[in-house]
Amino acid sequence: MADVVFDRVNKVYENGFHAVKDLSLDIADGEFLVLVGPSGCGKSTALRMVAGLEDVSSGEMRIGGRVVNTVPSKDRDIAMVFQSYALYPHMTVADNIGYGLRIRKTPKAEIDRLVREAAAKLDLTEYLDRRPKQLSGGQRQRVAMGRAIVRRPQVFLMDEPLSNLDAKLRGQMRTEIAQIQQDLGTTTIYVTHDQVEAMTMGDRIALMKKGVLQQIAEPQHMYENPDNIFVAGFIGSPPMNMAAARLDRDGDTYSVQLGEQTLRLSPEALAAHPRLAEYVGRDVVIGIRSEDMEDSRVKGGEGLRATANLVEALGSELMVYFTLDARAADTEDIKLLEKDHGDRAAKSLVSGGVRWVASFAPRARTRPGDAIMVTVDTARMHFFDPETSLAIRA
Amino acid sequence: MSASTTPRPVPATAAGAAPADTQDAPRYLGSAQGNWFARVGWRHLVAWAAIAFSVFPILFVVSAALNPLGQLSSTTLMPNAFSLENFAKLLSTTEFARWFLNSIVIATVAGFLSMFISALAAFAFSRYRFKGRRAGLMFLLLVQMFPQFLAMVAIYIMFTRITQLYPQIGFNTWWGLIILYMGGALGVNTWLMKGFFDTIPKDLDESAKVDGATHTQIFFGIILPLVAPILAVTGLLSFIGTINEIIMANVFLTKSESKTLAIGLYGLIAGERNNNFGIFAAGTLLTAIPTVALFFALQKYIVGGLTAGAVKG
Ligand SMILES: Nc1ncnc2c1ncn2[C@@H]1O[C@H](COP(=O)(O)OP(=O)(O)O)[C@@H](O)[C@H]1O
Ligand SMILES: [Mg+2]
Repeated sequence: MADVVFDRVNKVYENGFHAVKDLSLDIADGEFLVLVGPSGCGKSTALRMVAGLEDVSSGEMRIGGRVVNTVPSKDRDIAMVFQSYALYPHMTVADNIGYGLRIRKTPKAEIDRLVREAAAKLDLTEYLDRRPKQLSGGQRQRVAMGRAIVRRPQVFLMDEPLSNLDAKLRGQMRTEIAQIQQDLGTTTIYVTHDQVEAMTMGDRIALMKKGVLQQIAEPQHMYENPDNIFVAGFIGSPPMNMAAARLDRDGDTYSVQLGEQTLRLSPEALAAHPRLAEYVGRDVVIGIRSEDMEDSRVKGGEGLRATANLVEALGSELMVYFTLDARAADTEDIKLLEKDHGDRAAKSLVSGGVRWVASFAPRARTRPGDAIMVTVDTARMHFFDPETSLAIRA
Repeated sequence: MSASTTPRPVPATAAGAAPADTQDAPRYLGSAQGNWFARVGWRHLVAWAAIAFSVFPILFVVSAALNPLGQLSSTTLMPNAFSLENFAKLLSTTEFARWFLNSIVIATVAGFLSMFISALAAFAFSRYRFKGRRAGLMFLLLVQMFPQFLAMVAIYIMFTRITQLYPQIGFNTWWGLIILYMGGALGVNTWLMKGFFDTIPKDLDESAKVDGATHTQIFFGIILPLVAPILAVTGLLSFIGTINEIIMANVFLTKSESKTLAIGLYGLIAGERNNNFGIFAAGTLLTAIPTVALFFALQKYIVGGLTAGAVKG
């Protein structure tokens, strides 16, 4: 077992593209770290530098305290699972799993034993004599996993290992991989662009944007305390509702001006964000998660008036999509997020307001077209500086 | 629009249950595949034409080989006599066995070496990025555009000198010719193989690399088994090309006992008269044996490769 340290690691490709910028990460021994971010943000590049498949342009890469910048892959004692699985088509499942052991001249009987053990763990025993071609996608994925675990390496590296599976299998393998990692206690770096995988699998999440690390934190902490607009919009489903608003002050009461409507902030909200005082009279970007809003008939209190456009009844909750008469936050991060999750966030920009989604209790019985009053738990609101995109907190 | 136009009998139950409605009754309208001849039949015609086209010369040669008179004029398409006299004469009056051995050794070794070295070069060109990679590829292609016998004079002079210094690899030796043939096919084979190598995902190399394999282990253990079809094809083509080659061999081989089949047999009919034609035909028939044998041996890989490539593993 070993820890993995990125110490101001940079990667500049031969064509001059700066794919990873000053990345510093400290992944503890036995930790499951998920490296997440939109496609093209440099996750794979970072992972491949750990694997030794790409050279480190500058900075130091350490595995178990040893600087590995110039150590070839085979001497790093790592295993990698590829998105394409990269199974050897001409070998049986057993030979695929045992390949690394054969290369390392492990005795035949030992290879046999270890391969059977790994296969049993992954329910592959009956397929050991098959070729990859004769397996289903899920089974191939397991073989790729088997190949990684059989060698008991210091570090597992996984590059979007589940993205070729259908949704159901993906959910299943998600828990299975997390379980295997927990059993073995092997340090794992898991790359994905899927924030659900990041939230559910990792001990910690490292979120990247355009080659730059945005935030590294435990999933729940990152969900509740995003450091900037990008993190706020990337983590969570549905994505955080955001809008541009002006912060006003009247005596001791603070409020935000959303279009024609005024939303008073509770004293708790102020206590949680003391630096808000600096933003009085200026524009801020506010963010609120769907579960922190409720129908005023259910919860009481004042709120924002809107009209429900679309209602999804999920049984346990009602997802109510409504258009709010306010300005959309128009920062670079927002644009990037919209490009990333396409239709998911593209909805937020509609003419004549922003599209929000709130989670109401089922007894609100909201129906499309209803005029609604949305109570906002302002203590759980997020505030961001539109210039720097950073969260306004303490 | 009525039941009477239905070409097939309406099932009894349907007719009984709903006599008025015949729209639902199954009607046979022909196969979805269309007309048999338009679909498949014409291919048979083409195939038979192609077979006839390639079988006639073979029949003619067989007939000539079995014809004891050994003259073109007395040979017919169907053998009109049966005698092994030509074969006996071939073996007793010429050094056919020796030529056969020369050809087999030279073609096998040159074919194998050229295939192997091309595979090594193709691997490097396909997998590594290095200075001069593009230039190297272009150069190979450029050189290939000139026929080899353009270099004949240069080669002749070179080998004259080599023969003086190292007669073991000079004129009239196996190695001299092997080296020459090997170089000749290298460019085409490398290009051919590089294209094929490029279709093998790089993930496989990288996965093996992480698994602990060296470049050599990746080449022999992962890549070579996957490119077997192209190896078989290039090996076969080199073999055929070498065994039939005549221009270079003619310059190179002057002594009778060092001749290859192509040169030796050509010598039999190169004279004014054609009375050796029966022996020549017998010789060519025997010459075809190794090529056909090799083809059958490699057939599995060639055909297997075509289907394996179609279904992505
Ligand atoms: N070999 C390469 N040469 C130049 N640019 C590359 C190379 N590989 C990747 N890139 C670029 O680096 C960026 C990050 O790539 P990658 O790490 O694969 O992103 P992802 O986060 O989707 O895994 C992308 O913009 C990609 O185009
Ligand atoms: Mg990637």
